[in-house]
Amino acid sequence: METFKVLEIKESVFEDNNRQANLLRDELKKNKTFLLNLMSSPGSGKTTTVLRTIEALKSDMTIGVMEADIDSDVDAHAVAKTGTKVIQLHTGGMCHLDADMTKQGLSGLGTEGTDFIILENVGNLVCPAEFDTGASKNAMILSVPEGDDKPLKYPLMFSVVDVLLINKIDVIDYFDFDLEAVKARVKKLNPNIKIIPISARTGEGIDEWADWIRTEVKNWKE
Amino acid sequence: MHELGIIIQIVKTVERFAEENGVTNIDTLVLQIGELSSVIPKYVEDCYPAAVDGTLLQDTKLEIEILPGNCICHKCDKVFNLIQHNKQCPDCRSQDWELLSGRELLIKEIIAY
Repeated sequence: METFKVLEIKESVFEDNNRQANLLRDELKKNKTFLLNLMSSPGSGKTTTVLRTIEALKSDMTIGVMEADIDSDVDAHAVAKTGTKVIQLHTGGMCHLDADMTKQGLSGLGTEGTDFIILENVGNLVCPAEFDTGASKNAMILSVPEGDDKPLKYPLMFSVVDVLLINKIDVIDYFDFDLEAVKARVKKLNPNIKIIPISARTGEGIDEWADWIRTEVKNWKE
Repeated sequence: MHELGIIIQIVKTVERFAEENGVTNIDTLVLQIGELSSVIPKYVEDCYPAAVDGTLLQDTKLEIEILPGNCICHKCDKVFNLIQHNKQCPDCRSQDWELLSGRELLIKEIIAY
C-alpha cells in the first residue's frame, strides 16, 4: 500500500520571486547601479517620458534602458536614436516581468559603469504590481485621459510605487480629471508616495522628476 | 489573465521545495486563494494543465481552498465579510474597517507519496 504524507509549504506564491528580487537588488547596490521600474497602462506616454528623462539626465550620468513588451521593438528604436544603450525584452505573451527576466535583461544590457537604468515594464496596471523585479525604486505613470478613478480601480499598483507621475497634464482642461481627488485617493492608499504632475510633451514638471532621480541615484550609491 | 504567470511561479516553487525535501511523486497540490486576491480560482484551474506539462507536477491533482475576505469594524468590533456586506459594517453601517484576511495567495501543502 502506498503511504501518503502531507508536506506543509505555507509559502506565498510570490516568495520565490521575492527572494530572487532581493538578491538582484543587493547585486545592483554593490554595482552602484540604480534600477527604476516604470509601470503604467498602455498609451500613458511611458516611452515619451523615458525620452524626456534621458534628455534631462544624460549629461549627469550614464543611462541604460530596458524595454519590455509582449512583442515588437518600436520602443527600443525610439530610445536607441538618443544614443542611449537599450535592450528590448520580449515577454512572449506574459503580462509582466519577474526578477529572473529582469536579471537576464540586465546581463544582456550590461550594468558595468551604468549609473541609472530604466526598466519600462509591460503596459498593465495589474500583474506588474505583484511581481517584484528587484528594482531599487518603483514608479508609475497615470495619464490624464485615463481618468481620475484609476486609484480606486487598481489600488495595489498605487500602493506599491514610490513615485507617481501624472502625465499629459497639459491637456487637463479638456478632461474631467480632478487632480486633487486623485492626490487624495492615492495618499489614502500610500501615504509616503511622491506625486509629480508632468507633461512629457511640453516638458512641464520634468525638472522636479529629474531632481528626484538625481537624489535617489546619489543615495543608492552611498 | 495573469493566472498562467502565477501558476508557472507556483510550479517553480514547488519543484524547488520537492528537490530540497527529496520528494519525487506529488499526488496533490493544495493552494489557498483569498477572495480579495486578484487571482480567479476558475482561471487557475484552467491554466494548470498547461503550466504543469512536462514538469514534476505533470500528474499532480490541484486543490484550491478559498479564504474569505473578512474585516473588523473599527467602531463596533464586528467581524464581517467585505464582499457580502458591500464594504459596510452590517451592524453600525460604518465604513471604517481593517482587513483581516482575503488577500492571500499561498501554497499551503503538497501531498506526496
